[in-house]
Amino acid sequence: MKRSFLLVLAAVALLAALASSLILATPKPPTVDQRVQSIASQLKCPVCQGESVADSSAQLALQMRQRIRQDVQAGKSDQEIIQFFVDRYGASIAWSPPWQGFSLLAWLVPIVLLLAGCWLLYAVVREWRRSEPVVTERVGSFDAVGSGEREDDELARYRAQLEQELAEDDVIFKRAGTEVR
Amino acid sequence: MYFSDLGSIALILATGFALYTMLAAVLGAVRHSQPLVRSAQRSVLVVAGCMLLASCALLASFLTHDFGVNYVAQHSSLAMPWYFTSAAFYGGQEGSLLYWALMLSLFSALFVITSRRAPAALVPYVMATLMGIEAFFILMLTTVSNPFVRSAIAPSDGLGLNPLLMDPGMLVHPPMLLMGYMSFSVPFAFAIAAMLTGKLNSEWLRAIRRWTLAAWTIQSVGLILGAWWAYHVLGWGGYWGWDPVENAALLPWLTATAFLHSTMVQERRGMLKVWNLVLVILSFALSIFGTFEVRSGVISSVHSFAYSDIGNYFLVFLIVVILFASVLFCYRLPRLRPEQEFDSVVSREGVFLLNNLLLVGMAFATLWGTLFPLISAVFSHQTMTVGPPFYNQVMGPLLAILVLAMGIGPLLAWRRTSLNALWRNMSVPVILAALCAALLPLLGITDIAANVGFAICTFTAAAIVYELWRGMRVRHKHGESYPLALYMLFNRYRQRYGGYLVHIGLVFMVVGIIGSHYFQVQQDTTLKPGQEMNVAGYRLTYFGNIDRIEPDKEIITSQLQIWRGSQLQGYIYPGRTFYRNYGNQPASQISITTFGATDLYVFLAAWNGAGEATIQVFVNPLVPLVWYGGLIMVVGGIFCWWPARRRVRGEQRVAAVAGAKVVTGRAVELAHSGGKESMA
Repeated sequence: MKRSFLLVLAAVALLAALASSLILATPKPPTVDQRVQSIASQLKCPVCQGESVADSSAQLALQMRQRIRQDVQAGKSDQEIIQFFVDRYGASIAWSPPWQGFSLLAWLVPIVLLLAGCWLLYAVVREWRRSEPVVTERVGSFDAVGSGEREDDELARYRAQLEQELAEDDVIFKRAGTEVR
Repeated sequence: MYFSDLGSIALILATGFALYTMLAAVLGAVRHSQPLVRSAQRSVLVVAGCMLLASCALLASFLTHDFGVNYVAQHSSLAMPWYFTSAAFYGGQEGSLLYWALMLSLFSALFVITSRRAPAALVPYVMATLMGIEAFFILMLTTVSNPFVRSAIAPSDGLGLNPLLMDPGMLVHPPMLLMGYMSFSVPFAFAIAAMLTGKLNSEWLRAIRRWTLAAWTIQSVGLILGAWWAYHVLGWGGYWGWDPVENAALLPWLTATAFLHSTMVQERRGMLKVWNLVLVILSFALSIFGTFEVRSGVISSVHSFAYSDIGNYFLVFLIVVILFASVLFCYRLPRLRPEQEFDSVVSREGVFLLNNLLLVGMAFATLWGTLFPLISAVFSHQTMTVGPPFYNQVMGPLLAILVLAMGIGPLLAWRRTSLNALWRNMSVPVILAALCAALLPLLGITDIAANVGFAICTFTAAAIVYELWRGMRVRHKHGESYPLALYMLFNRYRQRYGGYLVHIGLVFMVVGIIGSHYFQVQQDTTLKPGQEMNVAGYRLTYFGNIDRIEPDKEIITSQLQIWRGSQLQGYIYPGRTFYRNYGNQPASQISITTFGATDLYVFLAAWNGAGEATIQVFVNPLVPLVWYGGLIMVVGGIFCWWPARRRVRGEQRVAAVAGAKVVTGRAVELAHSGGKESMA
């Protein structure tokens, strides 16, 4: 069964090669439109309810987009433009909390808790496995088959697995050959 | 006597009966008195009748335009068509609370009617819990938020409904969402009953599973309709804005989804009992939190149609619910030992654990983002907003891993899977995903994140289809044709294949989300008649504005032609509607034209007289897939929920007999399975 493993490996290698080529290839510089759009979508429209400057059709948002366009054409960086609006309208215009000060918590708490969750899961699973005495040898035995009659064999194995799972809802489906417990 | 008086009387009666039910049910359970329990059951039905009467009374007040009732005067007018007048029932706070209470009483009645199927020991406590919740709502309705309050002088006409709500989506979205919130009460009541009696067995699990599945499906419909409504009415080119109220509706849905998965682990392997209880309680608490949030206005939102100090009562109720459930939970904790041990991480239960971590993580991130402005204001006196960029960055990766896990899960067996078997099962989907990732850049999709997302979706879709195909082949070997095999698989193993259907729907939806998130093109231009604008291959020619005046509203539309290349695709009329009583809140009429899988979304942003308009155009690729995916998900949910037919139950009885015979000898079962094969 090395073959399927190698196939998967080859596919993954292809994916990795592709991803790296995409990353390493010199990215096209974003057009002015794209930059205006991306900056505007980082800002909350001050006179609307829950709309970004990019999406809103309010007069103020229109003016803000024009202002962003001018600044982009003048060669200012994204950060400078956003900072300009933050200085003018207050911190609440930036639609995602900045990575500094108190609002760092907004980002860190979910990330830390998620990592803690992963760790907890790992600990729990390890605990469960330690107290577990016997490992049933079922699926392992299926792997000791030649690749000659692979088609039928795979089918039989899958049937066994499927029918065993289905048998728990419907005992009639249980076949003597697939009985394991 | 007015209809509203009838409603008030019905509400007062309902309060009495709800309180009586709690008392009688608990007493009956403690004293093992069957007559008391039965009387409680009937009293639940009476509460449902009273609530129905009260709701009919309110509806009748609306339809007869009884403007002496404050609520009717504030939410409807003579010029409104009858369907919006009926929908105004839940257009404000009082009515939506009444609707909530009505639905809860109807679901309670449904529970009582089907209670023979539920574990008998639990029934009284479930009723008592449900009626406890119901009593809270009716008390709110009779005191602080009464829809039947009359004013001394009736106005000659009402104010009418908020224009944002005057949309066909409004007819169905709020009632579905409110019903979704409400329907989490039944699983919660089961959880409380199980903790009170200590009967947390598989029977309990089966009963609660179907109710949760129903709640999940209703909430899904509500969420999807909400997204649809936002897309068609709000005019910012999107369907999900991470608004606090949308988030609140998403939260119980996420935890319920987690529950529906971890409950399978409990059913098969006897593990995760404690965790499942937590999820049920959490889902209900979050749905109450959602109601609280909408009503209190603590967090600013687009849904701020109505709020008042009623939020405080909900906060108290929420605290009571959480305290009560937590105390019970801690009391029962020692009893909840897992029955079986965990074998391997590389197993289906392993993936379910990951799934639960992701879903609960998503729920927490959403809750945190929703509450953070409040936390920030309290602790650092700094106002701030948490908007879509935050959620997209946090939820995007989680969603990607979730979809990936959805593809791997079905490939794994319970208990443990050998790595060899896993590689073998994965090879086809992985190769397809690699192909997809390789082909997409050739089609001009060079965004790395979008590419990875599409590849993951391909992997999962391929894994699910491959799984279906293998199931069909197995049955085909039993002598069934492929279409029949597919039908039989779906027909006989609803939970399993309904689940796959939901997964496929979600994959569709995620493809749509990726498409619209990464490839949306937006442009706005001010046009004069004859001028045109070009957006992403579409050309729009502007002709002028049309002003139409009707008795209760004025409609301004712009006339435009859509061209694609040299072909005229048709005329569109994006516009605004001004309702008489809401002159400063024009409702948008957005023109959405679908070309294949791409939406051309045209919005009239501003206009000047008859010959100038600012047109905002969004080209939204793949958004229709979001709706198709949502539809598939809901169908899958209903499919899982749909009761098995009697025939199957009969077979189960046969099966039970057969199971007894297994002990006596293998020959019997062999013969039996032979019979089965010829039957299948």
